Amino acid sequence: MAKASPKKKAKEKEPEYIHVKFDMPRRYNWSTGRHLGHFYAQAKENKKIVGNRCPQCKEIWVPPTLVCPKCKVEMGWDLVELPQTGTVYQYTYLVLPLWDPHYGEKWANPYPSATILLDNGVFYRHRLEDTDKDKLKVGTRVQAVWKEDYEERGEGPADILYFKEIGK
Amino acid sequence: MPNRVAIVGIGQTYHTTRRPDVNQPEMVAEAVRAALADAQLSIKDIEAVFSANMETFEGIFLPDHGMAAEIGAFNKPGFKVNTGGTTGGSAVVEGFYMVSSGLYDVAMVVGFEKQDCGDTTAAISAAATPMWGKGAATGAIGEFAKQALSYMETSGATEEHAAMVRLKADRNACRNPYAHLKLGLKSVDEVLQSPYLVWPLRILDFCPQSCGACVLILASENKAKKITKKPVWIADVEVVHQEPFRAGVFGDPTGKETYTQHVACERLYKRNGITNPRRDIDTAEIYEPSNWEEMNLYEHFHFCEKGEGWKLIEKGITEIEGEFPVNCSGGVLATNPIGATPIIRVAEAALQIRGDAGEHQATRDIKTALASALGGPNWTILTLLKRSL
Ligand SMILES: [Zn+2]
Repeated sequence: MAKASPKKKAKEKEPEYIHVKFDMPRRYNWSTGRHLGHFYAQAKENKKIVGNRCPQCKEIWVPPTLVCPKCKVEMGWDLVELPQTGTVYQYTYLVLPLWDPHYGEKWANPYPSATILLDNGVFYRHRLEDTDKDKLKVGTRVQAVWKEDYEERGEGPADILYFKEIGK
Repeated sequence: MPNRVAIVGIGQTYHTTRRPDVNQPEMVAEAVRAALADAQLSIKDIEAVFSANMETFEGIFLPDHGMAAEIGAFNKPGFKVNTGGTTGGSAVVEGFYMVSSGLYDVAMVVGFEKQDCGDTTAAISAAATPMWGKGAATGAIGEFAKQALSYMETSGATEEHAAMVRLKADRNACRNPYAHLKLGLKSVDEVLQSPYLVWPLRILDFCPQSCGACVLILASENKAKKITKKPVWIADVEVVHQEPFRAGVFGDPTGKETYTQHVACERLYKRNGITNPRRDIDTAEIYEPSNWEEMNLYEHFHFCEKGEGWKLIEKGITEIEGEFPVNCSGGVLATNPIGATPIIRVAEAALQIRGDAGEHQATRDIKTALASALGGPNWTILTLLKRSL
């Protein structure tokens, strides 16, 4: 039998950890590839959200993908431009700050984010415009707002700054 | 016909936030020794060792290489798996495959995570794909938060029900000598005073970050009967993967989403003649990262009708004394040493079948138990255990 959880002790033993400081920048260069690369290019060049349509089941996959996960067939290049308007299906916002899991920056709260049902029936996950958290509601109509400066685009999904509330 | 496989040894460390008194191999060795002692075997009896750890979380690659001596893997076959939240479940399945194939008669499955040595969230930041997702999601926790919101809106469950899930987990954890969070919570109000982390999830709606290890020894039928009087049989396993960019939108109105839990349990239930899970299975140890997810999973695994998971909690059906106890150990809500977590689910389910869970033994007799794992973009692994085949 292994030891059970120790009972609370009056005086904790001094921790014996070593701390190693890293100042090296990460030297990685990732390939977006042909399919995801097409999404990046359309976002940067044309401010468009694109997916591709499966030749067999006709489901649209975003970002475009090489193989339909359901049918296991090559997707090909039946590219589909997605609507940039939709309805908030689910949302959340940060109360305590969290890390951006992809870039390691700390997000300021409330950083609202949502699963949006785009007007063609495809789900798209993105952040919402910073707003009073009490104004967030399921069913809110929203629209993509892009980075206007061409030079600042090129970050794929992040070329869309946020989705902003629009009228019904 | 594959060989029958039994769990013949179970060991775990106590789980906690910090273990400055040991390094990672020393901590893992505690669980290895406990499992060997439980099986009354020597490390020399173990033919192959399969390990499970999310190595980047501690920032050291190849941790299994660094502990070949401590886990008894020196000069033996076996390898490490690393599949996100399901890591430990993958290792159990791997051990099962290896013994059922006849390649080995006695194999050991070792899962561990020492989260005081790293920063899990920062490690996810450093290693997740940067090409999809910036600005798109608040990680796993954000997805669970959004699911909680949908669950609340569609099922009629309230925050009080989520609080009741935590109370159940905490009561059970307080009876488990190895559990991590033992808060001694007394009331729903106490849970509802916990601050929000990611709306609508409170800190007490979510699992902790733990240090700990868990080890199983698996044996083929002939060996198992010689090693122990109380073998726990692995009746079946099921693994279901999901595409990377969608994680299953709860209550999907488009009908296009795939829920890996549905796929996994439908296959497993069909193969094993389970038509009414709550009647045909006696207990479950499910991988529930949040209070809300537990109610959600009751429905996904068909323990109840859709939209009624919260009623099982409200009626006390899944309590340790209840008709269908779930997570008698306190579950992931109390203890989460990532690479070990799904192995703990299987270990605790097996202890229930042996009747060796001590103070957190379910009141009813447990002959059949289900263990689940969840991770990554909503992957599911199920393990079905039985006292007799
Ligand atoms: Zn298809």
